[in-house]
Amino acid sequence: MPTLAIVILVLFSAALAGILVVRPTITVSRAGKILAFGVFFFLPLFSLVAGMENEMQRSESTAFCLSCHIMGPYGKSLHIDDPSYLAGAHFQNHRVPADEACYTCHTNYAMFGTVKAKFGGLRHLYIYYLGKPPLPENIKLYEPFNNRECLHCHLGARSFEEGATHNADPATLPAIKANTLSCVSSGCHDTVHNVGHWGDKVKFWNGGS
Amino acid sequence: MHPGSSMERKLRISGIMVILGLLVEALCLVWSKPIAFVALVCISGTLVGLGVLFFLYSLISAPSHPTGSSGAVAGK
Repeated sequence: MPTLAIVILVLFSAALAGILVVRPTITVSRAGKILAFGVFFFLPLFSLVAGMENEMQRSESTAFCLSCHIMGPYGKSLHIDDPSYLAGAHFQNHRVPADEACYTCHTNYAMFGTVKAKFGGLRHLYIYYLGKPPLPENIKLYEPFNNRECLHCHLGARSFEEGATHNADPATLPAIKANTLSCVSSGCHDTVHNVGHWGDKVKFWNGGS
Repeated sequence: MHPGSSMERKLRISGIMVILGLLVEALCLVWSKPIAFVALVCISGTLVGLGVLFFLYSLISAPSHPTGSSGAVAGK
């Protein structure tokens, strides 16, 4: 449901509740009792669930993640005009949905991955507002990046399965799939965001969203 | 206290909590900041939840055969 529709629903519910607060005698009649149940029980709960669902969806958007200024350099790294920058190459070529770029790579695709990602987000909020946030270049992942997140899309893809480097050694592909050889920290695709290490030569692509 | 007026008072309290919760929710929905999500869950969720629970409590605490002429929800 679009945000505007939910806002209208919420305000409509509040207006109806306001009428019953001002004129509670309306509830004397049978129709009034039904109205009261709808206004004080069904509509508020429905509005709340719709609003929370909307916020959950919004929390997966790239704009949401980048709305904290500490994430600014990471957002900027998505526009680096250099295909060796993994995050930028994925974002610019729509290998991940551009409007959910952060979430697509940084959630985990295990059973409770989404829940874990949401709790991680709450932890970020706590640190951002009540703790001492680190400098952007000092932000680290909570745990090493699991190949599972890459393989969620790349497993079975021809470019991955038949890639020359991936097949140069017969042990490489099984090791990647078993997560014993990391995609991003084994010296293969290790230029990801590289915030704080761009230097002066890095250029930015102005396209995209 | 008159059963009807007691019921009306409970409905008003419940309604005010629901209204406040919904207004906070509307603000959170138009305010695109991460803290809005927390405000929606914590403040709006609490207010609406309490309002709904208080409404349900007002229903079960209403006298089954009230006397009087203006019993809101509980009946005439």
